[in-house]
Amino acid sequence: MHRVEHVMGMPIVVAVRDGEVPDEVFDWFRHVDATFSTFKEESEISRLRRGELERAEASDEVQQVLARCDELREETSGFFDIDAVDGDPSGFVKGWAVDEAAAILDRAGVTEYGINAGGDIRTRGRWTIGIQHPLERQEIAQVVEGDDLAVATSGAYERGDHVRDPHTDEAPSGILSVTITGPDLGTADAYATAAFAMGGRRAPGWTARLRGYEAMTILSDGRVLSTPNFPSA
Amino acid sequence: MRKRLIGAVAGLATLVLPTVNAVAATAKTIVTTKRVTGPQAVADRWGYVEVILVVKKTTRIVGTHKKVTRKITNVLVPIYPNHTDRSVFINQQAVPLLTNEVLTMTQFNPNIEFVGGATATSGAFAQSLQAAILQAKKI
Repeated sequence: MHRVEHVMGMPIVVAVRDGEVPDEVFDWFRHVDATFSTFKEESEISRLRRGELERAEASDEVQQVLARCDELREETSGFFDIDAVDGDPSGFVKGWAVDEAAAILDRAGVTEYGINAGGDIRTRGRWTIGIQHPLERQEIAQVVEGDDLAVATSGAYERGDHVRDPHTDEAPSGILSVTITGPDLGTADAYATAAFAMGGRRAPGWTARLRGYEAMTILSDGRVLSTPNFPSA
Repeated sequence: MRKRLIGAVAGLATLVLPTVNAVAATAKTIVTTKRVTGPQAVADRWGYVEVILVVKKTTRIVGTHKKVTRKITNVLVPIYPNHTDRSVFINQQAVPLLTNEVLTMTQFNPNIEFVGGATATSGAFAQSLQAAILQAKKI
């Protein structure tokens, strides 16, 4: 069965091959939205950004997320930097929330599930995933198949040119999309955002040296560069 | 660790192995190219380094005489600390390790259960592939 709900500003799909989707999963997403949304005036993140709340006084989960965002800034040479977007951690929170939802499903004993949060996916068991074509939105550019995967894509083709190089504030050039696969969706999403922001000249080389994560970069000239173990079907 | 890698590079670069093999009388040259991956090495506190050497091996056989020469034709550094501008250049050295294909649309694949892509807004999702596939499959 599957359930779809509109939470955190996007449709979230949870599918399981046997049994039911526990209510706890969507309760969790609503809790994340209430805590981290930049659109909710009273969320902890909104209060932090207005300076009404000190980081040290924030809840454990908020501190945990911000600490991981700091690490990711280092891991990506500043190409994933929430300070460049006034302390908005949304680029990491979505993937992290899905990782935690996966842990809820694991604890509930669900052995085969998939979660799709606005195009970023995490699975348990073997699932087949199509990666949307960056130019022809109704088409699939690549099929990914694997066990226990996180699959995150960053590109300019949905919300316009919303990813920028934090160093120059320019939209990246020469690149259409970056898809990262690996064990952890929060990390994969941040890596995809960072690689996309690097642009077509830097991104492929950078993805080639990631540890534990694979990548497929689609360049503006139509070349598709994948790391050797990218899980193409 | 750094010393060990440099040692390995020097060793391969100068490796010339003349061996004698009886039999054929005609001249023959065989050229092969191989990749040799070094161990991942810790570069102080900066992270990990990994070096791949592309080695061209030329075997020249003249009569009973066989001569093997190995030449390093490229050095790739796929894993390198990313703390300096120079590392951006070095990152580009890793590009030859990537598989290079041409962007196409895949044939309709009935096995697809999820569709991934850059963040889908609800408006886009309403007419998206994911919605269509969910309807079609009734997962």
